[in-house]
Amino acid sequence: MRNSDISIITAKAENIEINKNELALRLKTDRGYNSELLEKCRKRFNETVEYKCAYIRTEVDLSQENICKFDFAEIESRNLYKNLQGCREAFVMAVTTGIAVDRLLKKLNVISQAEHFVTDGLSSAAVESFCDYASDIMKTGIKCANRFSPGYGDVSLEVQKPLLERLCAFETLGITLNSAYLMTPVKSITAIMGIIDN
Amino acid sequence: MKDIRELIKEKRVYFDGGTGTVLQKKGLKSGESPEMWNITQPHKIVTLHKSYLKAGANIIKTNTFGINRNKFLNYAELIRKGIECAKKAVEEVGEDEKYIAFDMGPTGKLLEPLGDLPFEEAVSIFADNVKIAAECGVDLILIETMNDSYETKAAVLAAKENCDLPIFVTNVYDGTGKLMTGADPKAMIAMLEGLGVDGLGMNCSLGPDKMLDIIDEFAKYSSTPIIVNPNAGLPEVVDGETVFNINEDEFSDYMVQMVQRGATILGGCCGTTPKFIQKTIEKTKDLPYQCPTEKDFTMVSSYTHAVMIDKDPILIGERINPTGKPKLKEALRTGDLNYILNEAVRQADKNVHILDVNVGLPEIDETEMMKRCVSSIQAVTDVPLQIDTTKFETLEQAMRIYNGKPLVNSVNGTETSMENVLPIVQKYGGGLIALTIDEKGIPDNAQDRAKIAEKIIKRAAEYGISKKDIIVDPLALTISSNPESAVLTLESIRLIRAMGVKTSLGISNISFGLPQRNLVTSTFYANALQSGLNCAIMNPFADEMMNVYYAYRALNQLDTGCVDYINYASAVQGTVKNDVKTEETLHICIVKGLKDGAVAQTRKLLESISPLDVINKHIVPALNEIGTAFEQKKAYLPQLLMSAETASLSFEEVKKKIPSEQADKSKAIVLATVKGDIHDIGKNIVKVLMESYGFTVYDLGRDVPPEKIVECALEHKCKLVGLSALMTTTVPSMAETIKQLNETDRSIKTLVGGAVLNQEYADMIGADFYGADAMDSVRFAEKFYSD
Repeated sequence: MRNSDISIITAKAENIEINKNELALRLKTDRGYNSELLEKCRKRFNETVEYKCAYIRTEVDLSQENICKFDFAEIESRNLYKNLQGCREAFVMAVTTGIAVDRLLKKLNVISQAEHFVTDGLSSAAVESFCDYASDIMKTGIKCANRFSPGYGDVSLEVQKPLLERLCAFETLGITLNSAYLMTPVKSITAIMGIIDN
Repeated sequence: MKDIRELIKEKRVYFDGGTGTVLQKKGLKSGESPEMWNITQPHKIVTLHKSYLKAGANIIKTNTFGINRNKFLNYAELIRKGIECAKKAVEEVGEDEKYIAFDMGPTGKLLEPLGDLPFEEAVSIFADNVKIAAECGVDLILIETMNDSYETKAAVLAAKENCDLPIFVTNVYDGTGKLMTGADPKAMIAMLEGLGVDGLGMNCSLGPDKMLDIIDEFAKYSSTPIIVNPNAGLPEVVDGETVFNINEDEFSDYMVQMVQRGATILGGCCGTTPKFIQKTIEKTKDLPYQCPTEKDFTMVSSYTHAVMIDKDPILIGERINPTGKPKLKEALRTGDLNYILNEAVRQADKNVHILDVNVGLPEIDETEMMKRCVSSIQAVTDVPLQIDTTKFETLEQAMRIYNGKPLVNSVNGTETSMENVLPIVQKYGGGLIALTIDEKGIPDNAQDRAKIAEKIIKRAAEYGISKKDIIVDPLALTISSNPESAVLTLESIRLIRAMGVKTSLGISNISFGLPQRNLVTSTFYANALQSGLNCAIMNPFADEMMNVYYAYRALNQLDTGCVDYINYASAVQGTVKNDVKTEETLHICIVKGLKDGAVAQTRKLLESISPLDVINKHIVPALNEIGTAFEQKKAYLPQLLMSAETASLSFEEVKKKIPSEQADKSKAIVLATVKGDIHDIGKNIVKVLMESYGFTVYDLGRDVPPEKIVECALEHKCKLVGLSALMTTTVPSMAETIKQLNETDRSIKTLVGGAVLNQEYADMIGADFYGADAMDSVRFAEKFYSD
């Protein structure tokens, strides 16, 4: 049973330009790096990826110091509290590249470490790039704070559970959590993005 | 009251509609579990059930969808109270033909190997629920809103093993007509009919409009009554109110079309109300009823798709079978799954339809190895598997954990085989290869082989295994010792095909003991195809076989526009084998990462210089060059890895020329990602580099307990251990591993690396060396063994 205030954003692979800086960072290369190997991996990744984002716009109550009260959780955090200063609402989001990418990575891990390493880097950079793409759509005409993800600073990974449940992420995105609060599909991101009052 | 299994064959029956969405209107808060109301507000649940029964629904779903032992401590009580509510409603309405379906939804966890919920744990979670439901007394089990085929299978097995109730299953398909983990309706039908469910279909996620796109697939392939429980479209917020975008009039109109296109059991899911059900019944009750007819399709499946065994020839890759393959035998003995997975992926890349998996070696635990292989192979390829074993226990365990409907190799005409194999196939579902051999051996004429086939088919029918699921293998023996074998086998194929039964052959046997085997095998294959052969267990790396396959399909109108043939032919043309370009020395090939060139150059060098010289004068200097370039930041890690992989292939060629007793096993390293850490990318990079430098690597994988690492080092008398960790939280387990190694044998040296480590950390935990990157680690290891 999916809550009705959840919106979905999808994108075709060709519409997501993988951020070159992110990619260089993952592959430990410079920004201009290119090779046959990279292009081969990029093509296959693009054929495999299914970008999907689920998000809500919800209220956040900051009346108690260092406590960010949402309808799905009360998050005690100095860092997030600071990040959300000046916000009464926030976007709460989860994005993923889909389960087929997990399968592709498992397969490449068997046949070629070079291709695995490059595809892993591509997927990581791609999910970040898609997260930017989806955030841009959400915040059109709205001033927002920087995106903040569980696991950053003093926000515990445990927040993933209520956050993903609130987004019905299992039904909407196929995201599940393991016992260490890590997500499957592995290339998935959750984030909170404060909406700054005018 | 009539058993619902009978009723659904005679007439259209109706499910109720949404539960959670209706309860929200009655005050259920966002985030509150509807199942809690079984205890806190049971009267509202009873009223809800009654409203559906009065609307005309035959089956009500208990309010137990989200209950399991992992989510609710008081799950048993919640289930009992939920069933009580349903019973009370049925009793109070007091009409006939009203049934209670015990409702089970997904656990919310993803099963291994992609997730972390073990398959048997999932079965056990569902089993706990089923036991309580059966004890309370319900009329059927409904497994619904499942978006993963594997979890669906776990739930069905739990139901089959813990009650005799009818089992209905509905899955959630998305806009592309697939489950979240990839299965299409055909794959689900193959698996679920194999498991013997009584009703199957789809629910939730989509509205009836979108489900119309999928219903035809169900109608075409399902012999089982088809359930359709759509949402009332998609939820939208209008003026702050949640509404679903399809109303009861539109919904019921769609349901009329659904009936006309084959749906036989109708109801609703999220957003639907008693009104939706009432209107649907009004508009469909007088439409003529047609139960799905028995379909004559022979299908096996994986977790994404089904393979249809029909006119188009089926290739079954034979490479995962230790007979005559010393490397595979070695891999099985040492538990080197990587080698086996590689064989699986390489065959899948040759477009085989099914992969045979045979891991029978007397000295290993075949059942355990088969389970590991089935599970691991399914993690890296979605090609359906043929489980090939003579051990009944192995067969049962492998079929149990297989994700889909496998092909089983094999049953034969002996009493022992039939009485053991058939019950297993009856329980789990599978295509079944039947060998025409019995207590008297293999008959020397086609008629008697066909008789054995008939006997097996008849016997299988007693177990409810349909003739369409039996594929007869009349056994090709080598013509080198049985000159009449080819002719006799072909005659058997024609005879068995004339009985309307599918056929298979282990095609390579025909040429055993002859020179240029592929020539004989492929010619025989062409003959067999012409005689009506469906499946061939074959070597997909034998070009002659693939030539016959593609040409046969083109010649027999099985390849529209000869598209596959043309693609195949152009690919063949593009690969010029052993093409040694003089300008590409082995050195250049390794530095540039040109794999094909490196293999060819290595072979050429081995004709004139010794294997050791190839290593020391060509491979190692080339690796050093790229290694140095990497260290000087003139080359990047992807390039280094490509070079390392290329050098490893070159090494493989060299090794073939070195008698195994002379092989240098002195340079060895044990590698592991420490306990608690599942990030193994860094460790794998080090492994590839070490192998390219000729090290023997004992790779223990990730999340490895200290004891196992110590044990491995001792077993192989290996004095060098490399440990990696990516998370700060797992550094203590790295320290513990080093401590245990030091306590066991101080002469064992440890080499550590990973994102969270630095020299200071490494010193603190007592490591002998800190490798800042993969190349650094290799340099240390080289130095360690040269000192």
